[in-house]
Amino acid sequence: MEIFIQQLVNSLSVASVTILIGIGITLIFGLAGIVNFAHGEFLMVGGMITWFLVTSGLNFFAALLGAMILVGALGFIAERGLFRFTLERPMNGFIMSIGMSVILQHVVIRIFNEVQKTIPDPIGKVWVIGGVDIIAMRGVVVALTAVVVAITYFGISRSRYGMALRASIADQDTAALMGIPVRRYVTGVFVYGSVLAGLGGALMIALFPITPFTGSVVIIRGFAVSLIGGLGNVGGAVGGGLLLGLVDGLSAGYGFPEWTDAYSLVVMIAILIVRPQGLFGGTLGPRST
Amino acid sequence: MMPLEVEHLRTAYGPVVVNRDVSLTVHQHEIVTILGPNGAGKSTLLRAISGLLRPRNGVIRFDGKKVTGRPAAQMAALGVVMVPEGRHIFPDLTVQENLRLGAYCRKDRDAVEEDIRLMESYFHVLATKRGAKGSNLSGGQQQMLAIARGLMARPRILLLDEPSLGLSPLLIKDVRAVIMDVRAKFSAAVLLVEQNAGLALAVADRGYLLQHGDIVASGVIAELRDNRLMHELYLGHGRSGKASIRGNQ
Ligand SMILES: Nc1ncnc2c1ncn2[C@@H]1O[C@H](COP(=O)(O)OP(=O)(O)OP(=O)(O)O)[C@@H](O)[C@H]1O
Ligand SMILES: [Mg+2]
Repeated sequence: MEIFIQQLVNSLSVASVTILIGIGITLIFGLAGIVNFAHGEFLMVGGMITWFLVTSGLNFFAALLGAMILVGALGFIAERGLFRFTLERPMNGFIMSIGMSVILQHVVIRIFNEVQKTIPDPIGKVWVIGGVDIIAMRGVVVALTAVVVAITYFGISRSRYGMALRASIADQDTAALMGIPVRRYVTGVFVYGSVLAGLGGALMIALFPITPFTGSVVIIRGFAVSLIGGLGNVGGAVGGGLLLGLVDGLSAGYGFPEWTDAYSLVVMIAILIVRPQGLFGGTLGPRST
Repeated sequence: MMPLEVEHLRTAYGPVVVNRDVSLTVHQHEIVTILGPNGAGKSTLLRAISGLLRPRNGVIRFDGKKVTGRPAAQMAALGVVMVPEGRHIFPDLTVQENLRLGAYCRKDRDAVEEDIRLMESYFHVLATKRGAKGSNLSGGQQQMLAIARGLMARPRILLLDEPSLGLSPLLIKDVRAVIMDVRAKFSAAVLLVEQNAGLALAVADRGYLLQHGDIVASGVIAELRDNRLMHELYLGHGRSGKASIRGNQ
């Protein structure tokens, strides 16, 4: 039982990173039809920035903020400078993003190197909850993600901007007829998704070592999560992330840890064949009149 | 004062030209109709005016100001609001949310809430279906919601694209009353695209007849009603009529 609870917290903390990247992927695709393959590299860059700032002596949580801001800026530049021009041809945008992911890897290798980076556990404490030892940082990761998920969810379902965002995801042209500046929402969502990738990167390096190639592993899991949940569906990305996280964690604990990635991808493939719209229903990308 | 002037407008989808050279005006408080058969280019013309489609050529002026090529969101903010063909209600949003979105570009939040009440008193079905998802409304209910949502923007000119499409004769009568009221109660002008000539001729002050993308006849309704082309197109000297119009161009 003790092992089970530890596995659960571990899986949840891994799931957190996946959920953070999944939310970005699902929103960006739902609104803009952009499949941003470089989103994983955005996370990796966030982790590298965190590593750089922490090794330069900055407090981890300040570094985390720095990573969120800088990766958000990276997302802004990528959207305004690149993806904006491929909105009419999503396939071009997809190919471009693959190119961008390789370029980002090489830029990071150039600036630093390809050796994996770690930082010391930012909290370095173990909580004992009900007789079970839990690494405090893992709990913090889960809690921070829960807060972000809640803010995102209520922002989208309750606020005026969230309502306009949902309308734009459903029908861009009609949303524009209401006076909604859809293009600005595309930028906003891209930046928001990037900020979450920056956060995800910071949280990830607090738990595991990161290499310049971490992004390509993460992106597959991010796509899996958003496809399982249904593209464009934030609640679905959270559900999908939890599902994958649990499959991972439990398979690592009770099965063959080296097969962890395969398990989650088998789950993804099975769900996509049985329910092409994802478990919770999503969009097919942007629609217009 | 002329709210809307369109001069020599040319529209196209890629290489396919739809409207070649269209000029029209809508004055304040006027109800103007654009009639024409299937595929004549009526919706394309409205899409260009509303900012959804960038015109290839020509000028659109609103209140004397050049607004050619402005995106739809800006046109809506100026008061040029289109209710698109096929209603396009947001299916997953509630009736209330649809209405509230219609007022997205308005700053007067309190007045918006009042206007929602006004729409509900005006279209009773919207009050009874307040919390229902858009997708749960019937076609007629969706059309009423689409018009109400357009009015929520407090437009200066409302562009209506085939509001009678797919409605029963009884509902068409309702739509007709609503269009007349748009002018009376919301003091907005109306540019009404219709295939249903009966409805259009009954409510409009003036009209334009569109064929193969261009205006082939125009005038006040009494004149238009007696126009030879109108008779050929709508009173069914079908094929020979179309052939002769093609010959004229
Ligand atoms: N998105 C598009 N891409 C290419 N061609 C289009 C597009 N939309 C319309 N067309 C073509 O443009 C022409 C005019 O279409 P439009 O929808 O403006 O006609 P309409 O007068 O509104 O017809 P209807 O009465 O059937 O609504 C048609 O030949 C149509 O096939
Ligand atoms: Mg049409």
